[in-house]
Order: sequence, then C-alpha cells, then structure tokens
Amino acid sequence: MSDRELEEFLAVHPFTADLDENQRALLAKQARLAHYQPDEYLIQEGRPANAFYLIVQGLVSIELFVPGHGPRPLQTVEGGSAVGWSWMLAPSRWEFDARALERTTAVVFDAERLRALLLEDCCLGLRLVQRLLFLVTERLRAARLQLLDLYGPPRER
Amino acid sequence: MVKAAITTPAATNPFIPFPFVVMSRRRETRDTVTLRLRPLRNVRLLAQPGQFMMLSVIGVGEVPISVSGLPRRPGELEHTIRAVGSVTRHLVALRPGDYIGVRGPFGTSWPLQLAHGQDVLLIAGGLGFAPLRSALLSILRERWRYRQVIALYGARSPTDLLYRRDLSRWQQRPDLILRMTVDHPDQYWRGQVGVVPNLIRQVAAFFEPANTIAMICGPEIMMRFTIRELQKHGVPDEHIFLSLERNMQCAIGLCGHCQLGPFFLCKDGPVLPYSRLAPFSEIREF
Repeated sequence: MSDRELEEFLAVHPFTADLDENQRALLAKQARLAHYQPDEYLIQEGRPANAFYLIVQGLVSIELFVPGHGPRPLQTVEGGSAVGWSWMLAPSRWEFDARALERTTAVVFDAERLRALLLEDCCLGLRLVQRLLFLVTERLRAARLQLLDLYGPPRER
Repeated sequence: MVKAAITTPAATNPFIPFPFVVMSRRRETRDTVTLRLRPLRNVRLLAQPGQFMMLSVIGVGEVPISVSGLPRRPGELEHTIRAVGSVTRHLVALRPGDYIGVRGPFGTSWPLQLAHGQDVLLIAGGLGFAPLRSALLSILRERWRYRQVIALYGARSPTDLLYRRDLSRWQQRPDLILRMTVDHPDQYWRGQVGVVPNLIRQVAAFFEPANTIAMICGPEIMMRFTIRELQKHGVPDEHIFLSLERNMQCAIGLCGHCQLGPFFLCKDGPVLPYSRLAPFSEIREF
C-alpha cells in the first residue's frame, strides 16, 4: 500500500482527520495497513509495545487472559477508534490483550519511529498526545461506569 | 342485541383498580417476566407507549409499571416486570389465569408524533428497554412515517438481555439499526462490551443531529452520560426525551411522592424533554 493510500485512510479516520495534510503525510510514512482474522491477536500482554493501531473497521476486544477462565473481555473497540498507548511510556510493554472479534483492518504505526517523529515535530507530538489523552479519558470513564454495575439489582421497593 | 357499555377510566374513580386476568407469562431473564393481561370486564385502558399503569396484588400492594408492548386485541396490556420488592415478586410469580388489579393509564407518552419525518434514536439501559420497546413496536408498525430508526441497548450481561426473540428478529431488519452492548460478557458473547454512550459514536454517521428525536430510558447515571454524548453530537436539548422513574403512588399528582422540582412525574412525566429538566439536573438525584 502506498503512502498516498495510507494518507487517504488517515484523512477520514476520526483520530487523524483534523490534522494538517503535512502532518498526516509524515504519519503515513511510519504506517502500514494490516488485516486481522477473527481471534487473531493485535496485542498480547507482556510483549513489547511496539505499535500503535488505528482501527479502520472491525471489532477488537480489549481483554485479560485469566488462567482457568480464558480471555475476559473488558471493552470492545470498533472502527474509528484506536488501540494501544503503552508504547508512549517506559517500559513499553503491553498490559492487556487486544484480539480481533471479527475481520478487522487497522493502520499500524511502528512505535519506535512514531516516538522519534513526535520528538522531532513537537507540534504534531502535542496534538497526538492530546488525542491519546482524550482516548485514555474516554476509556477510563467507560471503565468507571462499568464498575458501577448500573444495571445490577436495584434496591428493594 | 344490546352491547355492554365500554367503561373508560374517565368515567370512574382513578383510585379504583379494574380486575384483569393474566393471559400469558413469558420469562425474559432470571428475575424478569413479561405478562400479557386481559380485562375481566368490558373496559379499555388505552395506554400509549411511555405511559404507566398501577398494577396491584390484593393484600400486598401496588406498583407503577410502564407498558412494554402494544395490545394484540383492544383492551389488552403488556408489562415487563422485574422482581425487586414484595409487590413485584408477587407479580413475577403470577401464572396465566391469575387475577391482578390495574388502574391507569397515567403520565405522558413518548413523542412519537413529534418524531414523524425525523431520525429516531432509542437508547435503553437495562430494564429501561421495557418502556422503549412499546415505542419501537409502534414505530416499526408505521415505519414509513420516520427516517432513520436506531435502537441502542445496553445490558449487564448477555443473559440479562430482554426480548431476545425480538432482538434477533430486529437484527434482520434492513430498516432498523440495532446495536447492543453488555458490561460483563460471558464466554459465548461475540458482540460489543462497554457502556451505552459509546454506541452513539458508532452510529453518528446515520443520523442528522438537528433532525433527530432521542428517547432515553435507563438508570439515571447512564442517562446523564448519554445526554452529554448526544449534546456533543449536536442533538438539541428539546429533542432529547427521558423517562424518569420515581416513587409514584397516587399516580394523579396529589400525594407528591414523585416530585422533582416543579414536576409531579406521575402526571407531568414520566416522559419529559431534557430542555425542561435541565435546570434541575444539578439536583443530586436528578
């Protein structure tokens, strides 16, 4: 896939759509398009966090493997969202699994090259970090709401 | 032959329940059933989607329960009930042929007429799907009156999903976008996991915010976050309708148990536009 085609993906993906054309072109140079079959892992807990994923289409389960129980999904992420921020922080190891639940397409960025690019272009760096922070906030909010067990048994009448 | 007169609630004392008989009982989940009721006498309690009835068990008590279906024959009622307290436990245990007291209908209904010619978003959490099911059935019966119809439904787990037969039928409909999510999946669940507000983003491309009527029912925290998400997408407050549950007792705005700010939710609600509720959203128990 050419950089030009990747740029087109980035131009419509909500995570990158409102970046400058030049910034998207820089990002496209660090990226490739990848396809995942159902049950294929994008990310596995404990392994080096060496990539960042923009999900183009499909459904990905963020989960933990519990011995004796198998994978325990915590949240799903669909096309238009992003997966993985452990590459931003030392020691850059994945803390959860991410597994495709259906055929999934993602733009995959090489983490090392992406880190270098963000240090080189601080303006782009800030914009991406803001987006990642937004993503982290969203996931945290969702996890907190799930913790409340909103649909659990109500109080007695 | 002289036909027996049809009794309507207007002609009677609103505190006196009518006797109904349970025609059928369908188990939805471990603690929830749907009852279909038929009047014993020639009465027609014509409830609109969104309205509620007071259901009573002699010697036990009375509870407000929204209508969850459309009548198959005039006068019939359908209610989905979760066993929570003593009255609802008795209601859930009823069997076909058992008797029940019914008074109503009470309160405001979903704004189905306002939604004619508009995109419609129905957003339900948990048992909140029950009052919205009657709205969805009504919309699907006159599908041509509406533009895009989108139903979003969140439940605690796959086994807590209500109306599973309906859901699998609705998933096949090309004229309905249905998305479901659960908080706690089991090993067989291949669908979405997470909270309902997240689903709004996924369907944002399918509705025009300014021409959308949103109807929400679920736990109040879920509704708060859902409202914020709808606002982010540009749905006007006056197009967002909520169904609020309170301690309805008299059901005709006399006792004040269901008061929220200036509203008696039994008669001014349970369905209200958020534009009217917003000034009171600072009240902790909104």
